[in-house]
Amino acid sequence: MRVAKRVYSGVYNLILGLLTVFKHLGHKAITLQYPDERMPMFERSRGVVVLLSDPETGKLNCTACLLCARACPVAAISIVQGTDPDTGKRYPEKFEIDNTICAFCGLCEEACNFDAIKLTGKYEFSVYHQETLLYDRNFLQELGRDVPYEKKKKPVPKTKAAPTTDPTSPKPEKPASPKPDESPKEPPGEDKPGT
Amino acid sequence: MFELEGIFNAVGDFLASFLGSPLLQIVSVIAVGTVVAGFLAVLALFLVWWERKLSADFQVRMGPMRTGPHGVLQTIADAIKLLQKEDIIPLTADRKVFFWAPVVCFVTAFMAYICIPFGKGLIVRDLNIGILYIVAITTFTVISLLMAGWASNNKYSLLGGMRSAAQIVSYEVPLSLSLLGAVMLAQSLSMVTIVQGQSESFLHWYIWRQPLGFLLYIVAATAEVNRTPFDIPEAEQELVAGFNIEYSGMKFAMFFLAEFVNMFTVCAIAVTLFLGGWNPPFEFLSFIPSWIWFLGKCLFLIFVLMWFRWTYPRLRVDQLMAFAWKFLLPLAFLNIIASGFLIYLFE
Repeated sequence: MRVAKRVYSGVYNLILGLLTVFKHLGHKAITLQYPDERMPMFERSRGVVVLLSDPETGKLNCTACLLCARACPVAAISIVQGTDPDTGKRYPEKFEIDNTICAFCGLCEEACNFDAIKLTGKYEFSVYHQETLLYDRNFLQELGRDVPYEKKKKPVPKTKAAPTTDPTSPKPEKPASPKPDESPKEPPGEDKPGT
Repeated sequence: MFELEGIFNAVGDFLASFLGSPLLQIVSVIAVGTVVAGFLAVLALFLVWWERKLSADFQVRMGPMRTGPHGVLQTIADAIKLLQKEDIIPLTADRKVFFWAPVVCFVTAFMAYICIPFGKGLIVRDLNIGILYIVAITTFTVISLLMAGWASNNKYSLLGGMRSAAQIVSYEVPLSLSLLGAVMLAQSLSMVTIVQGQSESFLHWYIWRQPLGFLLYIVAATAEVNRTPFDIPEAEQELVAGFNIEYSGMKFAMFFLAEFVNMFTVCAIAVTLFLGGWNPPFEFLSFIPSWIWFLGKCLFLIFVLMWFRWTYPRLRVDQLMAFAWKFLLPLAFLNIIASGFLIYLFE
């Protein structure tokens, strides 16, 4: 009797398994055909780092304040400051992110006061040569061209000694500090940071 | 109207009209062999693709999609790739045995098709011991697997070969015994006679008079062709790949081909003995050619085998042996005794 019961329950479970598997026939596949279809990335996903530009002027939001470079735990960011000779505003003369060591932690984005640097949902950055992963300013800017962002942060340079030149300026950029700060004027600036 | 018998007969008559008798013999053997081999190659390509698509479907994926619409050309691409591969023979291998193992495997799988009735009149040679011949010839697979496992000189392939020998020899017994019931009903070993015995409607199929025999056959056949849940000879997680680890290129392709050909063979036997062979289930459906019925039934059974594969986990070696000797074998004997008794009572 016990044997019959065991055989019955065994056969029952075998058939149950078959039916469970059969239910999946004709089910729409939950996988994506990757190169053709891509999963939409989430708004706050932390992919590659880009530099954001002002959509109106096309210039970089970055003021080369070096906060991100200091916040970076792996020192992936290296910036050289430059000053625009016409407006006296600072801009990143050189802005490099070494993507081989970037940890995608997002601390640079948090540190930034000017919506200038952001982690995006872009993730397809496989290359054949390691050197290609050293992203320069123009590359980062081009990457950030189509990245939508809201100007949430406001520049609050209250603690800074330098007075703001125009407090009502709509631009979130950091106002230029007095000239004597920047003695080296060798980089001519040539008003190119936004192009 | 789409029966292939007429076409083949016409071709045969055409050849006979200008060929002498000894030459005709040779030409017809070559022609029939080529047709069957071509059919089997196409079938194996299709089955590999179908298995992949079906497994993908069961697992809610898509499977091969790139080569051709829905990946239909995938296995052709794979076959071409396999043909281009380097033919590696391990240094310590027994070269002769290593070479002949896939040949034996493929040829024996192929030879079973001499007496499988694909349709009305579509049989290479209607041997009067047909089913016995098929059971005997498919057993040669064991030898080829053992040869492959032994000649590779690799512990995993040897283990795989030993396991497959143990398994196939064990399951051969209930397999053959489960066929006996249907043979007793048909009073013949000839495949054609067995099919003709179940011709009128689907109620005359032997599955209704041999339900236990059919179940036992399906289970034993699954083990016989080394498919999950009885695929311990090539259990990937334990044995890397089983008996065929050291094989590459064309030889591997032959093993692979033989595997799917064997799968079709066991399904064809099941269809012939239990599911009415080429007969349509109802008389009014006989306008569909008989070979389509046969292929359709075979494909259905293959679908069931694939369904098993993607449902059940693999058995352990001792469970496998216990299942064959303690469960299947007594049931197979019981089936024979019961059917003999019933046949004696009612006929």
